[in-house]
Amino acid sequence: MTRREFSMSDIHLALDGELPDDDRAEFERWLESHPDMKAQSARFERDGAILAAALAPILDEPVPSRLTKLASGEVKPRRSWTISLRNAAAAAVVFVAGGIAGYFIASSGSFNEEDLADRLAENAIGAYVTFTASLPHAVDVGADDRAYLEGWLSKRTGLKIIAPDLAASGFELLGGRILPSGENIAALLVYKDKSGNQLSIYMVGEGGEKAKGTYTPEEGGPTAIYWMNKGFGCAIVGSLPRGQLAEVARNAWRQMVEAGAVG
Amino acid sequence: MDDHRRQAIIEEIPRLRRYARALVRDRDAADDLVQDSLERALSRIESWTTGDSPRRWLFTIMHHLFVDQLRRSRRHVQAVALMPETIDAASSPPPQPDKLASAEVLSALEQIAPERRAALVLVAVEGFSYADAANVLGIPAGTLMSRIARGREELRSILDDVSRRKMIKVVEK
Repeated sequence: MTRREFSMSDIHLALDGELPDDDRAEFERWLESHPDMKAQSARFERDGAILAAALAPILDEPVPSRLTKLASGEVKPRRSWTISLRNAAAAAVVFVAGGIAGYFIASSGSFNEEDLADRLAENAIGAYVTFTASLPHAVDVGADDRAYLEGWLSKRTGLKIIAPDLAASGFELLGGRILPSGENIAALLVYKDKSGNQLSIYMVGEGGEKAKGTYTPEEGGPTAIYWMNKGFGCAIVGSLPRGQLAEVARNAWRQMVEAGAVG
Repeated sequence: MDDHRRQAIIEEIPRLRRYARALVRDRDAADDLVQDSLERALSRIESWTTGDSPRRWLFTIMHHLFVDQLRRSRRHVQAVALMPETIDAASSPPPQPDKLASAEVLSALEQIAPERRAALVLVAVEGFSYADAANVLGIPAGTLMSRIARGREELRSILDDVSRRKMIKVVEK
């Protein structure tokens, strides 16, 4: 029998049941003689098992009746797919004419991009000043269950919100809350460090052209470091020295980028 | 349309929901994706060859809709360029993985690039063969294999990060 040389890709083939049966025994022997590869394979197998276990409960969830009724023909489709484009266009017109009219007019009229950035920063600083003044009441939902907090804030704001882990900068997450921002809902995450410094991250589903900057409305008052992009605004506010705040902001931003939570 | 076909589609809904949830974390958004997929499937029921399991057909439809959705949302994610900075992989050796909560695993999954996530979940969770998964995703088998391999690598490093962070928290307490 010719000895076949195995490699990493055979590990994937084996895990996925795609390794030819004839190669199986020899592959197992190869694995035994390559402990690093064996560990790799075991690790992938474990990851696959925990992934499957995390998703498995979904199969047992009751199926929403809107789905079963649709498939059984009890309810008609919401729309016909052949005219969906026209419907989408009509819906867009209604949307613009309705909810965001104020914002739409504002952004094409008297408000320029700089004003939008200032407004974002000012709202964020206002939220910081209001809610960190009394820490016990700063948050609606505590940090004990981060996943729940993130899910709740995401749901309410319509954004993908993650609560960055700022332990490396010495800040501990206390929790979060929602608050109004014009016609939108904004999310506020509140942090504090061991010496009592506070920090907040403010996120809202509005923003003009891409922009970033820092904003300190009052000498010696809190500073906001903000980023804005179409439909997304984020500001990190604190009363730390500028360099330290920028460092924390970079850390938070990096995690948000990694999680795809910036747009 | 005959009841037999409808019944076969209904039986696939739990699996469609699971796959949708792997693609789109939020439960309502995932069910919206399932609903869109069912609507589209029902509107072109004749494209489902009789005798075939509807599974591959339905997953393919869902995948197309997901890709459309992704394309729309990506236009909004250009902000990444704002803070030009490379994301360094942590260099310390990973700690022994603790027991991870489902939510942590699902968050980790969500951080994997969507194309790789789809490939990995189809094969490793939904149990599709490479041939079927490549067919659903509309990609060559070689591309599928490299997505699976990279997806696994990514999942491992993200899970390591999660464990590492948990360790840091434990140490701080």
